[in-house]
Amino acid sequence: MSFEEVDKGTHVVLAPEGKFNLVAAPPLKARIDDLVAVGKNRLVVDLGAVDFIDSSGLGALIGGLKAARQQGGDLRIAAAGDQVRAVLKLTNLDRILSPYQTVEEALHGW
Amino acid sequence: MTPTTGRQEAEAVARHASADRYDRFVRLAQAIFGAPIAALNLIGNDSQFTVASVGFPKGEIPVEDSVCGVTVQQHEVLEVRDLREDERFAKIPAVTGPPRVRFYAGTPVRGQSGQNIGALCILDLSPRTLGRQQREMLADLGALLERELAVQEEMDLAGQVQQLMLPTSAPEIAGVEIAGRVQPAREAGGDYFDWFVVDDPDGGGKRLQVVLGDVMGKGLAASLIASEVRAVLRGHSRYTDVGDAVARTLMTTRHDLEANNRFSTLWVGRLDPVTGALDYLDAGHGLAIVASERGYRRLIQDYLPLGTPIEDSWDRASDVLAEDELLVVVSDGVFDVLDDSFEQVEARLHTILEPGLTCRQIVDGIVDFAVAHGASDDVTALVLRRATGIDSTSRESVSATI
Repeated sequence: MSFEEVDKGTHVVLAPEGKFNLVAAPPLKARIDDLVAVGKNRLVVDLGAVDFIDSSGLGALIGGLKAARQQGGDLRIAAAGDQVRAVLKLTNLDRILSPYQTVEEALHGW
Repeated sequence: MTPTTGRQEAEAVARHASADRYDRFVRLAQAIFGAPIAALNLIGNDSQFTVASVGFPKGEIPVEDSVCGVTVQQHEVLEVRDLREDERFAKIPAVTGPPRVRFYAGTPVRGQSGQNIGALCILDLSPRTLGRQQREMLADLGALLERELAVQEEMDLAGQVQQLMLPTSAPEIAGVEIAGRVQPAREAGGDYFDWFVVDDPDGGGKRLQVVLGDVMGKGLAASLIASEVRAVLRGHSRYTDVGDAVARTLMTTRHDLEANNRFSTLWVGRLDPVTGALDYLDAGHGLAIVASERGYRRLIQDYLPLGTPIEDSWDRASDVLAEDELLVVVSDGVFDVLDDSFEQVEARLHTILEPGLTCRQIVDGIVDFAVAHGASDDVTALVLRRATGIDSTSRESVSATI
């Protein structure tokens, strides 16, 4: 799985697709780390094209969130589908990764 | 032959070799060298075990009839242009009878002990020779295979270690029936369950603590973290209630979880089998239910998994397990095959509530169902019920795992 990346200047939107799992998560996490390292610490992960997330995918999001916040930024998620929302709710991770309806909404305050 | 370390290792590897694990190596050898026959032969005490082959049946023959039995005693490629011209091999059945092999080239394969345990060989039905480059390629292929054997053995051992950490006998407490099972997606994994008896810190007597943990990810790396969380929680649980035990477990493991970018969901319950009083702590697991003919309820809390960047208070919740109720805790590998939907959980409740089922049968039913429906993750189930007046060991309640 590859992912789209769009640098909007004030923030970067990353858009994985398909299964966001053990295979797909590490490259996205590595990319987030690279972005944060060069000061791009406002990130939106657009999950609109993700139909399945597992604990590795969640781990990449949480890891990315930690990295972004440590540098004074944030990571937000947008357009999560039913399965993604169900897993976030199950693990209570929606407490720290609240899903925004759209990428535009996720930009609130930036 | 005298049993040596290498031969004993060969016997062990041959006994545990899965049917197709090494087939791609012999297929590669066959293709690279254009030979009709290629095989991986392991040399045991008295037998040669063909554990992978093309053009030749897998199986066991006396070591006296084996060419690889000679290769295994040396450290370089053995090449014989025509086996009929070598007195060591001219009379062996594969030369005198079908398939009447003529040419042989084999490279010894070392085991974990450092001694040779077998050989990767190619055979042809007419005499031929290998060039220097081809001999080197055969040796390289043998080295790759050695590496595969070593990695596989390490992984198998890691899986065994993890399995042996699971409870294997009924807890020493009267009044419960319990069973659990983990089916890792690989040799080892991030799922585990546990149970043990602790003294109630308030002096209320013996309690049965049950745990189901799921460390993010799969495989050996996840299993290392799972082992740590398991051990630390065991330690802390002896001295305090489940909420505090989880809080202390997080304090102790936080560095290792964060350094490795892992988190662990955890469901911990502590049952008084006499009264059914059940304290529990749910750290982002969400997959514990109490089920009976009257329906089901979830035993959940709002806490995050261990290792996430937020401070929680970790206070236990309380419930009561009635005598006709089942406590069922599963991992997300089970939930995934139910499309992460509690409607589907509800629709399948009747399968675990069928009268007469033991906890063991219920656990097997859940795990087998998940595996049969293509679970790609580790799959774990733990089922418990009160069995008042009956010593737990007198019921069929011992855990078994695969």
